Amino acid sequence: MRSSPTAPASNLYSNTRRRTKPDGVKILSFIALIITTFLMLLPLFFMVSTSLKSHREMLRFPPSFLPESWSFGNYSEIFDTLQFGTLYKNSLLIAVVTVLGTLISSALAAYGFARYRGRGNSLWFMLLLSTMMLPYPAIMVPQFILFSKLHWIDTFLPLIVPSFFGSAYNIFLLRQFFSTLPEELFDAGRIDGCSEFRMWYTIALPLSGPALATVAIFAFIYSWNDLLTPVLYLSSSDLFTLPVGMASLTSSRFRIPPWHLLMVASVLAMIPIVTLFAIAQKQFVEGIVLTGLKS
Amino acid sequence: MLMMNKKRGRLISLWAFVLLISVVMAGCGGDKSAGDIVSGDQEGAKNAGGDKEQVTITHYTIDSPDRTFIEQLIPEFEKKHPNIKVKVEKAPYEQFDSKLQTLIAGGNSPDVTSHYGYGGFAEYYNKDMLMDLTEIMKEEGFNSSDYSIPDNLMNIYNVNGKTYGIPANIYVTLLLYNKDMFDAAELPYPPSDYEDKSWTFEKMVDNAKQMTVVSKDIAKTQYGLDFFWSERDMRPLYFGAQPYSEDTWTNGGVPSETYFDSPEVISAYQTLFDLIFKHQVSPTSEWSKSVAGQNGDPFVAGKIGMSVGGSWNLAGANDFPFKIGVAAVPWGGNDKVRSTLYVDPLFILKDSKHPKETFEWIKYLLTDEVQEKSIELSGGNPPVNTKAAEAYYKHFEGIDPEDVKKVYEGATKCGFESFNHLITHYSQINDMFINEMQPIETGHKTVEEVMPTIQKKVTEILKR
Repeated sequence: MRSSPTAPASNLYSNTRRRTKPDGVKILSFIALIITTFLMLLPLFFMVSTSLKSHREMLRFPPSFLPESWSFGNYSEIFDTLQFGTLYKNSLLIAVVTVLGTLISSALAAYGFARYRGRGNSLWFMLLLSTMMLPYPAIMVPQFILFSKLHWIDTFLPLIVPSFFGSAYNIFLLRQFFSTLPEELFDAGRIDGCSEFRMWYTIALPLSGPALATVAIFAFIYSWNDLLTPVLYLSSSDLFTLPVGMASLTSSRFRIPPWHLLMVASVLAMIPIVTLFAIAQKQFVEGIVLTGLKS
Repeated sequence: MLMMNKKRGRLISLWAFVLLISVVMAGCGGDKSAGDIVSGDQEGAKNAGGDKEQVTITHYTIDSPDRTFIEQLIPEFEKKHPNIKVKVEKAPYEQFDSKLQTLIAGGNSPDVTSHYGYGGFAEYYNKDMLMDLTEIMKEEGFNSSDYSIPDNLMNIYNVNGKTYGIPANIYVTLLLYNKDMFDAAELPYPPSDYEDKSWTFEKMVDNAKQMTVVSKDIAKTQYGLDFFWSERDMRPLYFGAQPYSEDTWTNGGVPSETYFDSPEVISAYQTLFDLIFKHQVSPTSEWSKSVAGQNGDPFVAGKIGMSVGGSWNLAGANDFPFKIGVAAVPWGGNDKVRSTLYVDPLFILKDSKHPKETFEWIKYLLTDEVQEKSIELSGGNPPVNTKAAEAYYKHFEGIDPEDVKKVYEGATKCGFESFNHLITHYSQINDMFINEMQPIETGHKTVEEVMPTIQKKVTEILKR
């Protein structure tokens, strides 16, 4: 005898309904979350709204919530006034290569610190960490002299090459992650005749997705926002980066800054960071799934 | 196995990509440095066989249109002087000083610049960064009157008979007023004539009282006066009180004594803070920030009747959404000084390898024709050249050129160069003033309580 298909379905439905029946606390917490989200997004909203206002409207107080007349022309104007395309391209190129350099060099060094034991191991590690305490202004002049002697001034090299020599913070972060990987995996590799380098890239790296994604985000944001280094090393306008160009908009002490254009630049500058974060977030989730493989 | 191969393939392509990019970058790099690093002498060697050795000089400036306009003046100069190439090196305002110091320390000193950053002339002079121009001026037969530069301005950058800088631009203090607010309060406009004896500080405060509306609704609140006469440490001078000893102005900016705790100086500051707390005709700094942002000016938002400040405020005049006028700074108790002058000179740096060629460029920038052209190109920079100044007075839409002229001439006559150019360690002094005066501005401390600390701290900074 065929059972009626509707009965269990309605049961299921009513069960589901019962399970998700909203309670007062949940409603309140959602309302609180929505309000907080709205408040957090408000500056972002004003950034986009100001980027679409005219120069005159931008000066008005109290500021209008939405632009009176939508000046979409601001988005093309920034490409004329600021060589925005060139700045964007330069920043992107430097950031991408810096991320690759940081990932490769930091992961290699971190792997060494995490997996090999030798005399003075912790001393070297302490020495490495101590470089984090050196503020940039302290090494600014000696580094400038070095790159000047190498004839690298007014090129991207001083901005990119240092990333291929590791960074203490990222090495530290990756080392901590590599130390948590189970020794058995590497032993298994060794038995199968795996070389040390291959263990790094076939065992350690694929298991370190979340840590590598974190380092990639840090390296990208650092390079993307860096202002002082490009200011020091670049002198030709066609090599300038986005932060240098954007700083020039507020550099005049004697003029009202074109905030609307600065907001256009900020909106556009945000895109790569948001995109990278969206990609890396997926990596985080995958990483969490992968942790099931550990010990 | 397939997975393994796939991963290896991906890894190999990643490495190949990195290598490719590095090679491309190195290629670009090599190209660029080869062209730009070449010093004038090396270029000269390349061009050997020409009449004169070719040199490249570097002009270091701020990366903003009102400074980088000089790039447009270069082609004509290079046509007139085929042996001199001019390169413009620029930095944003905040990084101007750091880059300059690094360039000098790294042996890549620019040839010509001005004190466009936080540091002023005295700081550069005391760090021994500047070249003494006296000899070169004599050799070249430089006469300031040929460039219509007033003698009193020429003397600002003279220490012990030696000249270290040649004035190029001059800003003064002026009173900018919102005509719409004056009309609404049915008040007559303030005078632009410095000889008008009826125009006093008290009269200005009276006018301000009639325009001030303090309401709970921030959109309705407006104030009559914003008084930004110079930097904080210089303001007592407006009322006739001297905060630094006289020798400061002749010895390169190192005061032997300061008088920030004297009754005259304390009373001057009291008068200023009374504008906010007693008469309530001036806004608190919190209100200004809420209306105009961190470094903004609430005058621009149409919420201030009169704003006493640097003449750069005029530059945005054509964009203001209300009618404005300019007036003289009223008499405040000092017969000699009513205005702060901000004279931007051009310096040749001590490590310049081509001072003569650099001087040639400076002279070109100071000619009547170039100074006049620069007003338009820079969007309204006031020239020091009195002939070119006539064109500057006519630059502002809706403001009577006659008023601008009277205000400028009066202010120059009874003006004193801004302390930030004349006193050593100034950026530290200024920071200290901002921090120490904060509690007075927020109403947490009185002037009498704070001034002895300021006096002590200024003395300490100057001893460094």
